Amino acid sequence: MNIDLPFIWSSLIELLSAIPTTLAITAVSMLCGLAIGTVVALIRLYKVPLLHHIAAAYVTFIRGTPMLTHLLLIYFGLPVIIDALSDQFGWSFRSVNIPMIGFAYISFSITAGAYLSEVVRSGLQAVNKGQIEAAYSIGMTTRQALGRIVFPQAFAILLPSLSNSTISMLHGSTLVFTVSVVDINAKSQIIASANWKFFEAFIAAAIIYWGLTILIERLTAMVEKRINIYNRGGVT
Amino acid sequence: MIKLTQIKKSFGRHQVLKGIDLTVEKGQVVAILGPSGSGKTTLLRCMNYLERPSEGEITIDEFTLNCRRPSKSDIHELRKKSAMVFQQYNLFRHKTALENVMEGLVIVQKVPKEQARVRSIELLEKVGLGSKLDSYPSQLSGGQQQRVGIARALALNPKVILFDEPTSSLDPELVGEVLSVIRKIAKEGITMIIVTHEMGFAQEVAGHVIFIDDGVIVERGTPNELFGSPKEERTKQFLKRFTPDGVYSI
Ligand SMILES: Nc1ncnc2c1ncn2[C@@H]1O[C@H](COP(=O)(O)OP(=O)(O)OP(=O)(O)O)[C@@H](O)[C@H]1O
Ligand SMILES: [Mg+2]
Repeated sequence: MNIDLPFIWSSLIELLSAIPTTLAITAVSMLCGLAIGTVVALIRLYKVPLLHHIAAAYVTFIRGTPMLTHLLLIYFGLPVIIDALSDQFGWSFRSVNIPMIGFAYISFSITAGAYLSEVVRSGLQAVNKGQIEAAYSIGMTTRQALGRIVFPQAFAILLPSLSNSTISMLHGSTLVFTVSVVDINAKSQIIASANWKFFEAFIAAAIIYWGLTILIERLTAMVEKRINIYNRGGVT
Repeated sequence: MIKLTQIKKSFGRHQVLKGIDLTVEKGQVVAILGPSGSGKTTLLRCMNYLERPSEGEITIDEFTLNCRRPSKSDIHELRKKSAMVFQQYNLFRHKTALENVMEGLVIVQKVPKEQARVRSIELLEKVGLGSKLDSYPSQLSGGQQQRVGIARALALNPKVILFDEPTSSLDPELVGEVLSVIRKIAKEGITMIIVTHEMGFAQEVAGHVIFIDDGVIVERGTPNELFGSPKEERTKQFLKRFTPDGVYSI
């Protein structure tokens, strides 16, 4: 077996141009997912009438089905819905105007939202009840108490899970090749089949994914160090 | 100043408060005594609306709230009248001692930051923590944390401060420092309601003592009346545990 080392190197260089696509999908899905997840978690914690049943159904459905299925459902289902609505209301917007990557953003945000709602929920529940009571006792509104006291502490608690989820999303984003978005993985397939050097091209892709994963872990460690100053000398 | 009318509270089928009537005058220090599970904490929490009474009326500083259908803003209004010192301190873990005290001033009362800072430092110095401004709760002893908790409550200039067994999670050698802070602020004429098991302390600082058992006020009076010559059998039984011969001695 001979491996073309220089080809791995040149593949690596070529793959760099696909990094922004992968990072954009990961970042957008995680940020939107976190927003969705936070809202869903609050709806479920406060048992908002009606909405909390819908929220629970959303979470079990999404967690009970593969991420690839979500992508395919959105890819084939969303255009039908959008075009039907456009016809109904006479909009000029057509589903063909949606860029391919848009489907990835939407579907992965929905996926991430369900998983992150559980992460956020456990984070919120891990904050001692006495904290929000103390916030109320000094006259804060629920919004102030959540925003200034509960969320900052919950965030510190859920940071490790959030980091894991981000890494899962980074790796899961490889599914976008099914809707013809060229991310790192898709690009490596293109390079591989164009040159008939599959192993080398995939090694190059693996190296980049590994590097990005390490980067996320480093960033997490840095943030963790910053926000956890208050735990110095504490037991928990 | 404070008036509770027929406060009732049930958890499920279990009625914990069975109609509490209580009036507290401005500047009064009231101690609440009673056996474990009698509803002392629940009563205090109802006044701050951390617990929602099933029935009754709460008036603090001319603001009356009927517990049947209070609006969110009424609850908020009522809460702003009082401040609470918790048994478990409940300091904001991610904030320093100084930030804990400033929080209510800046966020709730919208006092300019610099002014809030000056006032908070003053208060922390008053409770003897001038050197711990930048410490996080996890870096403070229980007694120090509770003194920050008291400063946090004082900062808001509340009409009444509610203390729920402020010293009962403390090691015995730390109890004194917290009691002396409370003693100090009692002398300043701040209205206080204190749930405590420290009989000697209650006798000393309180102008009024209330004995609660099983969700009702069994007996009330001055410390001398209640400790010296309790009328009710249940009060006598309870006090006996603290003074073996059944006679309160000064
Ligand atoms: N959230 C709750 N849910 C159900 N029952 C509760 C709740 N909080 C308190 N209780 C019950 O209400 C009763 C009174 O409790 P409370 O904490 O007010 O007693 P206490 O007088 O403060 O006792 P202690 O001296 O032990 O602190 C107890 O029987 C307790 O089990
Ligand atoms: Mg209690």
